[in-house]
Amino acid sequence: MQKILIVEDDLTISTELKEMLDTASFEGIILKDFDNSLNEILEINPDLILLDINIPKINGQILLKELRKQTNIPVIMVTSRKSEVDEVLSMSYGADDYVTKPYNPTLLLLKINAILKRANKPINFINYHNLKVIPAKGIIKGKEEIILTKNEMIILGTLLNNLGNIVSRDTLMTELWNNKEYINDNALSVNINRLRHKLKEAGIENAIETRKGQGYILK
Amino acid sequence: MKFTKYLKDIWVVVLIFIIFFITMLSFFIAFKITKELIFAFVITYIIFSTTILLYSYYRKKYFYQTFLNNLNKLDQKYLITELMKKPNFYEGKIIYDAIYEIDKSMTENVNNYKRHTEDFKEYIELWIHEVKLPLASLNLITHNNKTNQKIKKCLEELDNYIEQILYYVRSENPEKDYLIKKHYLEDIVKNVALKNKDNFLYTKTDFIVSDLDKEVLTDSKWLEYIINQIISNSLKYLKEENPYIKITAYENDKEINLIILDNGKGISQSDLPRVFDKSFTGENGHEKGKATGMGLYICYNLCEKLGHKLKIESVKDKFTKVTITFMKNDYYLTKM
Repeated sequence: MQKILIVEDDLTISTELKEMLDTASFEGIILKDFDNSLNEILEINPDLILLDINIPKINGQILLKELRKQTNIPVIMVTSRKSEVDEVLSMSYGADDYVTKPYNPTLLLLKINAILKRANKPINFINYHNLKVIPAKGIIKGKEEIILTKNEMIILGTLLNNLGNIVSRDTLMTELWNNKEYINDNALSVNINRLRHKLKEAGIENAIETRKGQGYILK
Repeated sequence: MKFTKYLKDIWVVVLIFIIFFITMLSFFIAFKITKELIFAFVITYIIFSTTILLYSYYRKKYFYQTFLNNLNKLDQKYLITELMKKPNFYEGKIIYDAIYEIDKSMTENVNNYKRHTEDFKEYIELWIHEVKLPLASLNLITHNNKTNQKIKKCLEELDNYIEQILYYVRSENPEKDYLIKKHYLEDIVKNVALKNKDNFLYTKTDFIVSDLDKEVLTDSKWLEYIINQIISNSLKYLKEENPYIKITAYENDKEINLIILDNGKGISQSDLPRVFDKSFTGENGHEKGKATGMGLYICYNLCEKLGHKLKIESVKDKFTKVTITFMKNDYYLTKM
């Protein structure tokens, strides 16, 4: 399980963040000792850090600068300060992304996933049953090659990332909109049906199951 | 300063001069003084009296004329004390000192208000950052507990209102707390779209985007706020069947235009010229009864500061078309 460290002094936010991360099958860890944040972080050695700018003892941006001298752990700056200057400063100190409060939790999870994927070795293909899924080319390869549209690939990619878990329509929709595909509810259903057909063509029946009121699950 | 007007002003002095002249003349005639002497007296008297009058006139004229000229040329009239030379006559000295004192106390007074406003602005910004913490908590709690969607919607509205104060404070203040950088229009539009996604889906409004792969010079946070404001306005006044919002952009050598078009309720012709006025709500606002009339006013101010142009065209019950015009590089190069 991937460890995500929460550096945030507001107790409600940090516990809720931890709950959100835990249910999304990460391991959320809350930083408790702000006196010695830098060493504490290095000791925990997380896979990703959610770093607030306004933390006790030390400014988040300074902490990030110090952190970058020693490690390349991905960092998402989380702050209630909404100004271009803060964002530019954070990015120049080496943050991987910058989110302002109150953030959209679904979007935050997607960003975490995207950054973790980028941080790991780039994946050229994903094995699924006896198929090879190649996101960059938008194809699935079984005995034959089947071409997927951009939307279908985004949906399949998101489902593959959560293989065996329920993915809500909202998550799929957020991921599509995050990729500048502004489709509506009907189009999402159409896309999912087309994807089912293509997977069936490739030899996998009932790959995507519908869970009423909850979302979809890829088996 | 005109000489005739000056004479009118000191008519008592002139009158005394004349009375003195007549009295002396009648004395001379009564004592039968020779005509030559009277003539000599008249000439001397006229020369001396006009010299006295002219001298006092020019002395004042020089001071007041430069004073008025400088005042005319000045953009901020209260800076006049910096341009005044201390006059060499008594009356002028009194005025000079008085103006100096008045100006000083006024400046102190204004500075007091400035400090107040500055303090208030800082407090509001701080307050906004503080209030966003519980809002962030609430967002996470609703996410973790799969609560009613209505709560989520209310939270979004709350966030929008808070943003409005933040940008109002930022737009009203003269100092520059923005940063102009290159940004892709499509990225900014994407952030706004994600923010309004639920509202789009809930109202079944189609969001159609094209040709946004253009780079503009702007502050992304401010522009995001502006576009968000325009889109949430569109989403408020939707047509009932097949509503859509289209965003597109086109460019020429000098500028890039971003167009946000909807097929909604539109704005009546009589309201159109006033939509950017502060607190103007118009027909649509009255119908809904919830408008503050601040949104577009703030957008307009922010655009002014960023050097963008904001334009609205509309036909009632047909469409509303908002155009934001961005200048290309050279505009900023010459301005900064």
